[in-house]
Amino acid sequence: MDTCLLAGEIMLRSGGETYRTEDTMVLIARAAGMDEVHSFVTPTSIILSYRYMDKSYTRMIRTPERTIDLNKVTLVNDVSRKYVSGKITLISAYQLLQEIDQKKHIYPMWLQNVAAGVASGSFAVLSGATYYALLPTALAGMIVNICLFYFGKYLPFRFFIDFMSAIIGGMFVLLIYSLFPTLRLDLMLVGTMIPLFPGVAVTNSLRDLLSGDLMAGVSRGVEAVLTAVSVAVATVIILSLAR
Amino acid sequence: MAWWHGIILSLCSTTAYCLLFNVPVRVLPAGGAVGVIGWIVFSLSPYFGASQIMATFLAAITLSLVSQILSIYMRVPSTNFSISGIIPLVPGSIAYKAMLSFVNGDNLGGITLSTQTFLLAGAIASGLIMGVSIFSLWKGIVMRNALKRTKAN
Repeated sequence: MDTCLLAGEIMLRSGGETYRTEDTMVLIARAAGMDEVHSFVTPTSIILSYRYMDKSYTRMIRTPERTIDLNKVTLVNDVSRKYVSGKITLISAYQLLQEIDQKKHIYPMWLQNVAAGVASGSFAVLSGATYYALLPTALAGMIVNICLFYFGKYLPFRFFIDFMSAIIGGMFVLLIYSLFPTLRLDLMLVGTMIPLFPGVAVTNSLRDLLSGDLMAGVSRGVEAVLTAVSVAVATVIILSLAR
Repeated sequence: MAWWHGIILSLCSTTAYCLLFNVPVRVLPAGGAVGVIGWIVFSLSPYFGASQIMATFLAAITLSLVSQILSIYMRVPSTNFSISGIIPLVPGSIAYKAMLSFVNGDNLGGITLSTQTFLLAGAIASGLIMGVSIFSLWKGIVMRNALKRTKAN
């Protein structure tokens, strides 16, 4: 039971799809010899119920905070596959899962910031800016990512964090633009907002909708739309400052 | 010679985005390759008479299929590839232009451009769904054939 729930919790918290979380938990529970296993997962909670030795058990957990960590999803997937095919025991699976839960990001913080910068800069040039715009946009993307991290520590609302980071990144781009008016403001701003793009929410909501998990799919879709709207509002504010 | 610039830039941005989402190290190059494939399809299909929306749709189908195949081959969840693969297709500059029109008071132009943005986003979404569906269809056929073969044996 604990193994199932831990696997589900790690997966859901690190940005796995809802249907994958449900499947993983049901497979682990079946392999452990439980009957009538049912799981219900929404983006913020997990309910698992099963029958074992003529007794029914139900438990529910909430997952308030969510990060994106596809490495953990992959690792939990591996562990569950190994357990279901009988290569490891339940106890060692539980230990492995606990290790995964404690794991930090593979890449250090500075590398993530640099990656955000590279993504921003190259997206700006990809959508038609000159190579001179690469460096300022990369710096702005880095600033956005750093802001996301630090605001995440102090602010409770996710969409507000995105909004504030977008504002600060946009301010930086505006500053660069007022210093070098030959650069194109539009493409630099577009590139800057790339680290805020809700890629995981979009992809997961589509997969959930497709696998018939309508509730989870719709709520993830709303998450994606809200993030996009907060970024758009931030852009509008920056633009009205630029006028 | 603009084409190799596009390839390098899409490779850079996709790989960087993979890194941001903490994709395992062995999957990073494959993630970058998926982004490049999506970008190539996206930038080549206008030469065959496709509109921008159609090009986005085709690219999304292609990268969704490629990420499904890679996910089987490398035994990792397919989201590892497809999340960052759609990055080069994001209709960022059109969304920006829509915002700009609204700020300048040109509501009609803003609505036109936002409709275009929503259509492009819908093209990405339906392309991803289409890819997954085609792949599951193919998988179903392969599974059935495998079952038949085992029964014959």
